[in-house]
Amino acid sequence: MKFGIALKLGLLLAGVSILASGLTGFYAYQASRSLLVQSAKTELLTTTQVLARRVTLSRNEMSRDLQVLTSNPAAMAVLSSPNTAQEDPLAALFESFMRANPTYFQIRLVSASDHGLERVRVDREGDRLIRVRGDDLQEKGHFSYVSGTLKLPPGATYLSRIVINHERGAHAGLEQPSVILAMPVSAADGTALGVVVVNVDLKNVFATLAADLPKDFQLFFANGKGDYLIHPDASQTFGFDKGRRVLVQDEFSATQELVEGKVQQAVVEANDGRYSSAPVLAAFVSQPVKVSSEEGNFVLGLALPLSNVLEQANKLGLVVLQLVLGLCLIGILIATVVARAVTRPINAMSVAVQNFALDHQQAAIPALKRHDEIGVLAHSFKQMQDSIHQQLEALQENREELAHMARHDVLTGLPNRRAFQERLEQALSRAQRSGEHFALFFIDVDNFKSINDRFGHPGGDAVLKIVALRLVATTRKVDAIARLGGDEFVVLLDNPTHREDVVHIAEKLLESVRSPILHRGVELQVGFSIGISMYPDDGRTAAELMARADRAMYAAKDAGRNGFRFFNGKTHPTSPTPL
Amino acid sequence: MAICPNRCWKTLFGLKQALAWALALLLAQAALAQGTLRVLTWPGYADADLVKVFEAKTGSKVEVTTIDSDDVMWQKLNKNKANDFDVFAVNTAELQRYVQAGLVVPVDTSNIPNTATQLPRFRDLKGINGLVHGDKVYGIPYTYSEMGLIYDKQQIRSAPTSIRALWEPRYRGKVLLYNGGSHNFSLASLALGNASPHQIGPAQWPLVVDHLISLRRNAQGFYAQPEESVEMFKNGHTALMFANYGSQQVQLLRAAGIDVGYAVPQDGTLAWLDCWAVTRGAKNTKLAEAWINYLLEAAPGNALLTRQGLANTTSESPYLRAQDRLLWLEPVENADRRASLWERILAGDRANKVLAP
Repeated sequence: MKFGIALKLGLLLAGVSILASGLTGFYAYQASRSLLVQSAKTELLTTTQVLARRVTLSRNEMSRDLQVLTSNPAAMAVLSSPNTAQEDPLAALFESFMRANPTYFQIRLVSASDHGLERVRVDREGDRLIRVRGDDLQEKGHFSYVSGTLKLPPGATYLSRIVINHERGAHAGLEQPSVILAMPVSAADGTALGVVVVNVDLKNVFATLAADLPKDFQLFFANGKGDYLIHPDASQTFGFDKGRRVLVQDEFSATQELVEGKVQQAVVEANDGRYSSAPVLAAFVSQPVKVSSEEGNFVLGLALPLSNVLEQANKLGLVVLQLVLGLCLIGILIATVVARAVTRPINAMSVAVQNFALDHQQAAIPALKRHDEIGVLAHSFKQMQDSIHQQLEALQENREELAHMARHDVLTGLPNRRAFQERLEQALSRAQRSGEHFALFFIDVDNFKSINDRFGHPGGDAVLKIVALRLVATTRKVDAIARLGGDEFVVLLDNPTHREDVVHIAEKLLESVRSPILHRGVELQVGFSIGISMYPDDGRTAAELMARADRAMYAAKDAGRNGFRFFNGKTHPTSPTPL
Repeated sequence: MAICPNRCWKTLFGLKQALAWALALLLAQAALAQGTLRVLTWPGYADADLVKVFEAKTGSKVEVTTIDSDDVMWQKLNKNKANDFDVFAVNTAELQRYVQAGLVVPVDTSNIPNTATQLPRFRDLKGINGLVHGDKVYGIPYTYSEMGLIYDKQQIRSAPTSIRALWEPRYRGKVLLYNGGSHNFSLASLALGNASPHQIGPAQWPLVVDHLISLRRNAQGFYAQPEESVEMFKNGHTALMFANYGSQQVQLLRAAGIDVGYAVPQDGTLAWLDCWAVTRGAKNTKLAEAWINYLLEAAPGNALLTRQGLANTTSESPYLRAQDRLLWLEPVENADRRASLWERILAGDRANKVLAP
């Protein structure tokens, strides 16, 4: 396949347009994608911060519940007397709180005395609430939620480490992720007589908090050291309880500084490990625990599948792609049109050039009216064509002139020996075919040398010219006249009917040429001798005929000039020669 | 080849030998490189950097799970007939439970050439109770410690001389204890003057339980892990602590900047010797033995000494004194019973409830 300029130019233009629109589209997509991701990050971080505040608010609500419970006179009454009669109203209060708040596993009033003996205890067990009594009540003084809380001022909240509850007998809360909140029950003088302890169901709290988050949000919650407490994959939580710690900073390395307390928030794009097939965008915030606690900070995180974020970008990408494809198509179209527009006049011109080369016909040059480069090219070509044409015409004229000169006598304009030879051959072959006759006159000017001597060559030439004219005037059109050179002329008489006709013509000729010639005011009387040979009687070839006519002419000269003589007859002097 | 001189043959033979060696080495490496080694052990026995060296050496992957009590270890290994782990560290007394339950397989000491570097008394496996059963070795000694008393020098001027100090009312709420049933029952039994604290007779139970409850009432709290004990000691102004991990905790506390003393009471201090054992569920016993062999090398041995403050078996302990009277842990009369009773005691049950059926 040949790649013409049109194809090359078209491909180039189309390539450039595809590249330009492709690159524009690509960068537009990239820019919008990163803008979308950036705004999604900001949004995600804000959502996470809001959620973290809600965690604090939720904890504050629990603290308010504790305040209500610890300030209830019944609590003080129970703790100040060994009498169990005061316990029932408090238990009823606990139950009403637990019914109102399903995240509470357990509410207890623990005495500061009796080694932290539980005085009133309500546990959740399935849908039921269980009042734990008598021997089932346990001593909890050795747990820091009791010993730690007893040291707190009135109204202060204690928050335990978040652990799996292994405390035997904890009913629904047993082996469940829980956090314990406690508050001292203080006497008027500020001494703590006991504590109210609430066991909170961690999963339930976060399920409630995250209830109005969109479905595809993933929630992460870790303690200050980074141990996962809540994770989309439950097996990753409470690793420390199973002997193999699972840390947020191991999964999202960007949270390392968060755990170390150097930064308060971190936003990451995770696409390795468990997120290699479904990358996520995740925001983490570090939230300090503002109450007395063994936990310093919490790390709260939200993750969103990156595909959600990029859904918009992908839609946009599709539009950009359509645009790019459209632009490419237009580009290809324009490229085709431009390529054709450029190459069509060039092609037309090349056709014109080809035609010109073939037959030198002056073809119409296209695009002459254009003013651009192609117009200039067309004009140049037109000039070249014209110039070639003129030169060719001149050449043709020269050639014709040369051809004429080759066959004619320059002085008289009569055919020369060569032309006459051809004519004679033609006459011979025609006569042989048709059986016709013809006669050959050999005419020689008598005493031509003396004319030259007397009047010079111009005089001789003038005589010869006039003789030629007279010969032409005297003979028929069909008869051939030629000057063989010097003062020798020949005449071919085609098809004379009789020998008398030949004689008659010979006499006419002699009479015509013998009339005086005026040269520079001098009348010249010129005599002629004519030798005649006849076909087929005197010869059958041109050479024979010529030689015999020549001989007859000399015979005529010998006979006294100015007469004619047949080869096979006598010379016919017509008149006396004046010279 | 017909005119190959003698020397040429020798070279060829040498080459063949070298090739054979290389092949054998490669095969051994390939055998070791198979899969993952699942290690169940105590805090400080398999630090991440040491694990990495072993992984690089063998081309294997090591998964370390740490436990902090004998009961949890028993639960983990018993749960799936020891199929979840390949190798674990256990004290000589506990090991016998596992041998009886058929959860461990004998160790081929010829695959552990580093045992040659151990002190003679640790190479004499028959001389150590519980390691050898019917001529088969089930454990390779690794580290050991007494379980003495750590005290805050600011609060306790002179070192306690008896384990009974843990019960002293003046330390109420300032005594830090270990959350492990078996040890605590032995401790209480010992404090009651029982000469063989690992065997509690049927009549003794109520007394021992009572004694444990009174110990609980004296307690500030119960720790499980060494690091956790340090935090609780620091934050709770502990006066006295039962050091289940012995010198390991002393080292950690001192590293945390706490001025502590360490006492080894002469009326009976319990002591443990931890050994490495291979489970019946081990997928690659060669790799498990390579792990044991590696831990007897100088670097891991040194890490035990300097990082953990624990003795190793290749050099004399800088922590133990010859005059210390130690009661090495022995199998207890009923580990399950001790565990379940301890759960109740820890939860705060009172005596009649603890002993209820």
